[in-house]
Order: sequence, then C-alpha cells, then structure tokens
Amino acid sequence: MLPFIDDILRYDSLSIVGLEKNTGKTECLKYVLDRLPVQDKHIAVTSIGIDGETVDQVTRTQKPEIVLREGMYFGTSEMHYRQRRLVSELIDVSDENTSLGRVVTARALTSGKILLSGPSSASSLKRWMGEMRQAGIDLVVIDGALSRMSSASPAVSQSMILATGAAYSANMSTLVSKTAHIVDLVNLDLTSDANVKVLLPLDQGVWSIDSQGNLKALDAITSLSRDIHFEGMEDCQTLYVAGALVDGFLEKVRKNKSLKQVELVVRDFTKIFVTPQQFRLFHKAGGRIHVLQKSKLIAVTVNPTSPSGYVLDSDTLCNKLSEAIGLPVYDLLKNKD
Amino acid sequence: MQLKNVIESPCGLRFMLDELELQSGFARRWLLDSPMMTRDEEITACYDELRRFADFVNQVDHLYINTLSHKLCGLKDIRTTIKNLKQSSVLDDIELFEVKHLAILATDVKKLLSQHGMDTVVEIPALDEVITILDPDGMKIATFYIYDSYCAQLKDLRIQMRQHPEQQDDLLLQAGELEEGVRQDLSRQLHPWATAIEQAQLALARIDVNLAKAMQMSRMGLSFPTLSPDGTSRYEAMFHPQVKEALAQRGRSFQPVNIAYGQHPTLITGANMGGKTVVLKTLTLCQWLFQFGFGIPAASAQIAVRDEIYFCIGDEQSVEKGLSSFAAEMKNIDAVIKASRENKKLLALIDEPARTTNPTEGAALVTALLQVLAGRDMSLVMTTHYDIEPGDARCLRVKGFENGSMDYRLVEVQDGEVPHEALNIAQSLDIDSEWIDLARKHLDASPTTTLDNKH
Repeated sequence: MLPFIDDILRYDSLSIVGLEKNTGKTECLKYVLDRLPVQDKHIAVTSIGIDGETVDQVTRTQKPEIVLREGMYFGTSEMHYRQRRLVSELIDVSDENTSLGRVVTARALTSGKILLSGPSSASSLKRWMGEMRQAGIDLVVIDGALSRMSSASPAVSQSMILATGAAYSANMSTLVSKTAHIVDLVNLDLTSDANVKVLLPLDQGVWSIDSQGNLKALDAITSLSRDIHFEGMEDCQTLYVAGALVDGFLEKVRKNKSLKQVELVVRDFTKIFVTPQQFRLFHKAGGRIHVLQKSKLIAVTVNPTSPSGYVLDSDTLCNKLSEAIGLPVYDLLKNKD
Repeated sequence: MQLKNVIESPCGLRFMLDELELQSGFARRWLLDSPMMTRDEEITACYDELRRFADFVNQVDHLYINTLSHKLCGLKDIRTTIKNLKQSSVLDDIELFEVKHLAILATDVKKLLSQHGMDTVVEIPALDEVITILDPDGMKIATFYIYDSYCAQLKDLRIQMRQHPEQQDDLLLQAGELEEGVRQDLSRQLHPWATAIEQAQLALARIDVNLAKAMQMSRMGLSFPTLSPDGTSRYEAMFHPQVKEALAQRGRSFQPVNIAYGQHPTLITGANMGGKTVVLKTLTLCQWLFQFGFGIPAASAQIAVRDEIYFCIGDEQSVEKGLSSFAAEMKNIDAVIKASRENKKLLALIDEPARTTNPTEGAALVTALLQVLAGRDMSLVMTTHYDIEPGDARCLRVKGFENGSMDYRLVEVQDGEVPHEALNIAQSLDIDSEWIDLARKHLDASPTTTLDNKH
C-alpha cells in the first residue's frame, strides 16, 4: 500500500481534482477506491456532477465507469443509476434535480461498475456530504470536476489529491512550474485564529483590520478597484478579500507603499485567480497571502503520457515535480502494485 | 382561483406563506394548488380540522412535535410514480423505493398521531400490506432493492457473482431478466393500492399544512374566525402581520383597528399617513386567509364568504407593462364593475381611486363609482382623499393627528368630509418651512381650495 492511503483516512472527505483531461484523475480515483479498507470504514463516493464536463453531458458516454467494491455507498444521478452494473440497495432519492435526474444514494451489494454523476453544485454536494456524515459515513470521496477546484475547496472537502500530467503541458518545465503554482496556492498558510473567527462569516466585500484589531468594511473598494486608498490605511495590518483575488488587485497591493507590511487574506485557495508571475512578484516583494480555510494536499499524481501520444520520462517528471513542491509525486500507472 | 394565483397580491399574502413552517416541498405545492373555498360548509370543516391541530400543538411537548416534523420532512412528491402505478406500468427500482418510503412514512406518522387520537382527524389509509410487499425480509427500514428472497434463482446468481467476479457481466444480464420479472410481479401486487398510496400522500401534506398553520397561529397571535350570518364582516383588533413585524423591528408597535363593513358601501377617509391603505390591505389579506383556511390576524373576526375578491391598488406591475398608472387603475376598477353585473357575491377593496388625476374629475369619478356600485349586491370598501357625497355609504375616518402623534383607529362619521391635516403632518415631518408656510398662506388666501371643491 502506498503511504497516502493512510493519510486519506485521517480526513472525512477527499476530493480528487485533475488539472486537465487525461491527467489521470479517473486512474487516481480507481487506485484509491481499490485500496481503501472498505471492511473497516464506511466509504461513500460521488462526483461533483457533470456541469463542469459538458462533453460528457452531451455525449453521455465518455465518462469512465468506476468500479465500486461491495459495501461502498455512492451518489449518482437517476439516469446513471439505471445503467449500473452491480447489485445495490437504494437508500435515498433527493428532491434536487440535475440534468440527468435526481441524485440517488445507494449501497453496493456486489462489486461492479457505475457511472458517477453526483450533486451538480458545491452547495448541494456539501448538503449531500452532510447527510452522509449523519448516516455514519467515515469518508466521502469526490470525483472532482476537471479544471474546476470548487469541490476541492476546504469549505467542501478536507483533503485533496491533485492529478497532473503531460496533457496539462507537454513541456516538462512548464508542467512543473504550472503545477507547482497550484500547489503553492493549496499550501498557503492559515491566518491567525483570531482573524479566522472574525472574517469567516464575511462572504463579500473587502475588509481591513488595524493594529488594534478593529474590523472595518472598505465599501468603496472591490477586487476590481482601480486604486486602493482608504482612511487609516497606514495602520492596516490585515486586508481581507472575501471574493476573488485577481492580478490587478494583487499588483495594486504590492505597489502601494502604505500596504508594504500588510497581510493579505483570502477565503481559500479556490478564490485566487492570479497568474504565477504576479503571485511570484508579490512574494518577492515580501508580500504575504494567507487563507481562512485550508485543505490538506495528500498527494500529487502524474500521467506522463499526453493524449497526443507524447510521453515524458516518468522518473524525471516525478523527481522534478517532487523537488519543486516538496511533496512526494506518484505515477500511479507505473507504480501499479 | 388557487392560492398560487393570488399569492403575489400586494396585500401581503406572500409574507404569510413564507412565515409558514412547512416541512415538505410537496405540502407547499399542494397548498399553493388548493382552490379558494367559497362554501360555508367547507370553510367550517377546514377550521374545525385546524382547531383540532391547534389544540394538539398546545398539548404536546416540543420533542414530540420535532419528531413529527422530522418525519414530515421526508415527504416527497411521488405523483408521477403513483400515476405509473395506476396505469399498470412496471415500476423501476427507484419508483418501488419511493412507494416503500412513502408507505413506511405514512405508517410511522399514523402511529405517532394515534398516540394523541389525531389519526382520525386526517385519516391516513393503512399501508401495512404495501410495506409487506416491498419488505419481504421484514427489516422495516426504508431502503430497497430486488431482495434475494423474492426469487431463489436470483439469490443463486448473486452468490455466483460474488464468487466469480470475472463472470459478472454475464451473470448481471441473467439476473436482470429475473429482476424484471420480480418488478412486474411487485407492480401487479401494488396496483390495487395506488389510490390508497395517493390518499396517504395527500393526507401527509394536509397534516404538514395544518401543523404549520396551527403553529403560525400561536406564533403570530392569529385567531379562528367565525362565519358571518348577515353578510357583514366584523374585526376586533385587526392587524397586518408584516407591517407589525416591520414596526417591531424599529421598536414601534402596530395599533390594531376595529372595523365592520358589509351590506352598505364603506368609505374610509382620513389624513395622509393615517393607515387607510394598510387597513385596506389587511382586510384583503384577512379575506383571503379566511377563504384559504389560515388563522386571522385579529383578536376576533366574523367574516362573510365571498365568491370573488377584488383588491384594486396602485399597481406597479401594470405600470411595468407600459400602462400609465391611471389607465391601469381604470382597467382594474372596470373589471370590478363588469363582474358586479354577474350574479356573484363580490368583495371589492379599492384604494384611493382616481388619485392620480385632477381633483375635480377625480372626485366626480369616485362619486359616480360609488353610485354605480352601491346599487349592486356586493361588499365595497373604498378609501379616498376626495370630499364626495357619500350617499348610502357608511363613512369611517381615521382619527388622525392628535397631540403630535397619529391615532390610527377608525371612527364613524356622518359625512365623507375629509380632514385637512396635510400641512400639519408635513410640518411634523420637518419638511422645509419655506414651502409649508407659503402653502398655508395660499390656503388662507382662498376660501375654497381645490381640495374643498366638492361640486
């Protein structure tokens, strides 16, 4: 057993996210499901639905089937439930409709194949996971949408695995630096407990906390503001952006002399939409970005083969990436045990 | 006329529905689809049932209500499945699951209610037989699959599946045929129960609605109405729940109003800000609440049943549709006049008709409207700012501005003369004195102002 299976079991939820199609997300999911101790733990599997993967929604065929093991719980759409290739017991049918029908929850009574298409939004996924937890499920594994991080948000799942590979970029150093950027975002440090307590309930606007700990709403400032200027700016210790953090805003904070020492706080890494360049410049200038919530990045997996047939050297890729991110990197196809 | 047709009326019905703590979406849909009651007997029966629930809610403890509410949360809309069952279609696993889920839910709720003798108030058909059909192993849990015990052959195939996963696809194919046979058999057995299942679903929705209405009554201080024997509606200490709540949030209280109206047209006059429109809104709200069987926001209420209810108020929506406010209003009132020619018991509540036009023509229009409608068999309540000949109409006036504050109570007056308090009120609002003082000078200079121009 590769070590990260043990790591997964420390959390109540795992989201598997692929940076691009054919980066091996499904391989990774299969790998994890095959190795989880289904005898000792109640495990449920679902997907963040099909809204991120329009191709599948149109053709309705391309989504790969997942092999479930006996005893696993799963959430999928009515349509895919009817196409299941295993014996399973129905536990719930939700009121919520997705484009493939309502979400059905069931338990596998034999092993077998199923197409996964779960709740279609992060909020309904969260609701579903809550119900699962109430029903005594120890771990929910989410097949995340491609190139969308919403299911990996710490607001939804506690831990994540990132699948990357030649399909994301066929140039090794580009692949390494692009992946490392995402990993950097995921691994951003948490802000202070005091800040978390004050800022977590605020889900919109830009806010400032001064050296006395006073919270102030900066109504005139948005993440798209041309200029950052507000009263008491010199004494601002923490600047909290509840919405998306974009390049322009980051650049303005960096260039603002009064905000040299400021701690920039965002909700979580899924709210950061900045280019690696801006992100690096900000850090070089001594800037700090912290988050309110953080997911545990369990592992990064790679698929060195691109769909066009180009193959990167697996060992070199794993080593380079591992070096860049300071975490073990696995090529699951190669390491099949 | 269904509740959903009038729910967006500016009288505030939507607020009452939003404040109703229904457990299931199905009950909400059922309530919105329910028709307005127009017969005395059905209204009496509806309130008798609600009264039983109100007493029940007061008797039982919190924990019991929570258990019941939690159960009702599980009520799902399975009308499509029931329709399929009625048509003798073969139900699939999801549909069979839905039927079993509902049958167990209905049985549980029935058992809970019988602890307090409430199972006879809204009768839930016994569905034990349905559960037996769908629960061959007697597990009594609301999950479902084509159980092994339905078919010995199926059981064998599934054992093989576990032993020989490599043959799974082939075995699943064989099992699939057997499963379909079981589904056909189950659907055949369930078919005679379709109506009972449908009734159970409706009964659960009715229980959900009654419970929510009963709890709303105690939370908002609503009362049970009685039927008016003589066509006159009488309210003691009537209030508008939404306005009351808005005032409470600003630390102010709502002054309740007593009012009776019916056989003669009723004209409400009074100063600006005197709450005339709120009175009219509340009367409309109460009438609809009554004919849809809700608690009434008043200390006591005796209400006459009406076939149709018209509430004419300056209507933003028509303006959005491109009609001028005057045109929209005239069209609305026109509908009342046309309907009044039919042999129906109408209630029309008209807020300041013709207020957007000049006072001379406006007063003429209102006087004529009153004359036209006074001759018809209908209840009419109208507010106005114009001094008009009341004719046969009863005149009520908002007590008005006294000692710096507004007294919202209504008093009966002999004629429809409107009080001239606009300037005093404006002054109390701290409106610029240059304007108000000049207005007062104009008023003093001319003995007959436009407002006094009756004829």
